[in-house]
Amino acid sequence: MQSEHQMQGEHQMQGTRQVQGTRQVRVVTSPPAVTSGGGSAPLPPSAQARLALALAAGKAAEAASKALRAGGGTSFPGTVAHRIDPHILRKIAAASDAGKVVVTGSNGKTTTCRMLAALAQASGLTVTQNRSGSNLLQGVISAAVRGADLRGRLDAQLLLLEVDEATVRQVNPQVRPHTFLVTNIFRDQLDRFGELYSMAKGLEEVIEALPASATVVLNGDDPLVASLAPAARARRLYFGIQADSAGLPEPEHAADTIRCVRCQHPLSYRAVHLSHLGDYWCPECHSARPALDVAVTEVRSSPEAGSKITVQTPQGAFPLDVPLAGLHNVYNAAAALSCAIALVLPRPLEPAGARAALARLRPAFGRLEEIQAGDRQVVLAFVKNPTSYNATMREVLQRPGRKHVLAAHSNTVVDGEDFAWLWDVDLEQLVPRLASLTVSGTRAEEVMLRFKYAGAEPGSTLVIHDRAAALRAALTRTPPGESLYIFAGYTPMRELRSIMQRHAWVSPFWEE
Amino acid sequence: MTAAPMTVRICYLYPRLLSVAGDRGNLFALMQRCAWRGIRYSVTEADVGVVPDFAETDLILLHGGQDREMTAAAQDLAAKSGALREAIESDAVVLAVCAGYQLLGRYYAPPEGPPIHGIGVLDVVTEGGPKRFIGHVAVHCDLGPGSQHRLAGFENHSGRTYLGGNVRPLGRVLAGAGNNGEDGTEGARYREVYATYLHGPVLPKNPWLADHLLSRALAHHYQDVSPLAPLTDRAEVQAHGAALRLARRPAGRWRAAAAAVSRIGPPARMPATRPAGNARTTDKVTGWTSR
Repeated sequence: MQSEHQMQGEHQMQGTRQVQGTRQVRVVTSPPAVTSGGGSAPLPPSAQARLALALAAGKAAEAASKALRAGGGTSFPGTVAHRIDPHILRKIAAASDAGKVVVTGSNGKTTTCRMLAALAQASGLTVTQNRSGSNLLQGVISAAVRGADLRGRLDAQLLLLEVDEATVRQVNPQVRPHTFLVTNIFRDQLDRFGELYSMAKGLEEVIEALPASATVVLNGDDPLVASLAPAARARRLYFGIQADSAGLPEPEHAADTIRCVRCQHPLSYRAVHLSHLGDYWCPECHSARPALDVAVTEVRSSPEAGSKITVQTPQGAFPLDVPLAGLHNVYNAAAALSCAIALVLPRPLEPAGARAALARLRPAFGRLEEIQAGDRQVVLAFVKNPTSYNATMREVLQRPGRKHVLAAHSNTVVDGEDFAWLWDVDLEQLVPRLASLTVSGTRAEEVMLRFKYAGAEPGSTLVIHDRAAALRAALTRTPPGESLYIFAGYTPMRELRSIMQRHAWVSPFWEE
Repeated sequence: MTAAPMTVRICYLYPRLLSVAGDRGNLFALMQRCAWRGIRYSVTEADVGVVPDFAETDLILLHGGQDREMTAAAQDLAAKSGALREAIESDAVVLAVCAGYQLLGRYYAPPEGPPIHGIGVLDVVTEGGPKRFIGHVAVHCDLGPGSQHRLAGFENHSGRTYLGGNVRPLGRVLAGAGNNGEDGTEGARYREVYATYLHGPVLPKNPWLADHLLSRALAHHYQDVSPLAPLTDRAEVQAHGAALRLARRPAGRWRAAAAAVSRIGPPARMPATRPAGNARTTDKVTGWTSR
């Protein structure tokens, strides 16, 4: 009852939202033309020649780095091609009639893109994407180069790009997406993005630049994301969780943005689902979570099997099996389904087809990825901010027994310079369950220090900078038949994975 | 030394409002370093609307936040300022970081919007600048005879703070920007107030500063105390050393190369080790701020 009242208050405050909420079944008026071939006006010969040269060089770079097994060429081809033709991304995007989706946000980009690709393929679309999460400009260009022929034409009918929150300012004007998704905004690499709000401001500018024919898909449960660019022309689609059973009573420590975006008063929550994500309202100015267009109304989770969910959408109810554990993956599924609904697909999305497509999904590499390492098992977890670390750790701690852990962080352009955020991770919950701890990466000392103050015994912790040696030592400390849990930042995760790949324990991530 | 166990009374101001970059690590450091020595501690959290009993407080923590959290804190701090000022004048120990530092000063004038007024107990003013200072910092600190130290940490601020008459700098910048990127000073000291731009967990990796604050806090509670029992600070010393090395890396494009050369231990032996971005400059959003 109270919520209804709050929602009405919200509608009075913002007339536009009311329209949003009541338009249950909306027709996409200006669909992205999802056909291959075609394209815009031809480029002048010199521009076309430069593009062809850049594409050839990029493709050669990719072939070379694959032959040398140097990381599968997720960003090097883009570096080469961009050096030759700085406008390559704009040219490829403009020459193609493919549907274009850009996904950004702090957490969940890679998994959401994989889910969306599965949904799109189930509806008969071919997809080009930067699947391995290489989401800075060079990674995005590498994906475009890989998907294009030498004339710069994309073979695929859907160009699906996950883009870093800061890089999106460069990418969006070049790609001109039909659908733009913001998954959530958590504190993530503040040393790169400055303050949370300046990053939000950057995203607002990106959303405001979208044309009226585009759709912006926003996490309605994230107060900061839901309030982005309210006056933008693009159609808005909100997703979120409407199942009270899934909530916690109050935000956890690492929660950001728990004050009202409009009036600064602390927000109240009817349910908190993950960090600051939930069903919120402001007791002061009576703003509240917007009416959800795509709402997860039922969640039944188990730590091993993932979640069975029901999602209400403008195209009907979708009962889905999310095979990846954790409520964050429920959000990812809702986000992916929202984007699939925003796109016009050759065949309408069938609940049964969507369900089968998602159920087949394997974790993206490094997302609690289970790897058989000889007679031991490795569970590889990519962690990059307090929210992702806490969520992943909670999943791991649901499994019984004491844990052998390898924790690794390095300072790189991708991972950032400042690891202060490690102190916002509730490692105090992990330490009492440790069976052994090994720390690694170029910032091993910082990781060690954090674990020491969380209660870990420094005398029994190994500090080994070299990733290969650290992995060897950590596996040696893990008895046969047991699991080693690896919590690592992006770069050390990739390094550790490629070591395991050389042992043939795991296939290369670009073949994933 | 008194026979009964001693207690440090800690007040943690705005634990939710002003806590942006692992700032609670400072609290963890103080708590653990007490616990490891058998010193008792109490922690009082005081958020908006709560005025703690500053007269019964030995050590006050006031951390960083973004501009709008800082505005909310400034409004609330006005209600706490009388008691807080009295506590500071009677030598309660304060660690103030980033926005917390600015809030103890006279004002912070952000690039947009009206100035945010602090309580003015520190004679400092802060002006918003066009460029953020983001990067590793090393500072030479002189806490008195026989107590010279290097402070290592990370800064991320656009405010430029200028020191007035009643304060001394916390130290001299060896690497990084410090107060304003101009005069080579970092932080401020006034009585037992220690203010700094080194955000996040500055105390765990500078255990000498954590222990200095603790011993001054005990002195505040018990007037006369013996030196703190030494601890095994191997992890702390190594993290401090690593942070200093990061701060003293050469600037700009040579940074990656130099880091590769000076990296402790052999580099991991796999081709993909080279992080996707190290050789790249175009994607960088923020520059390395060395002077």
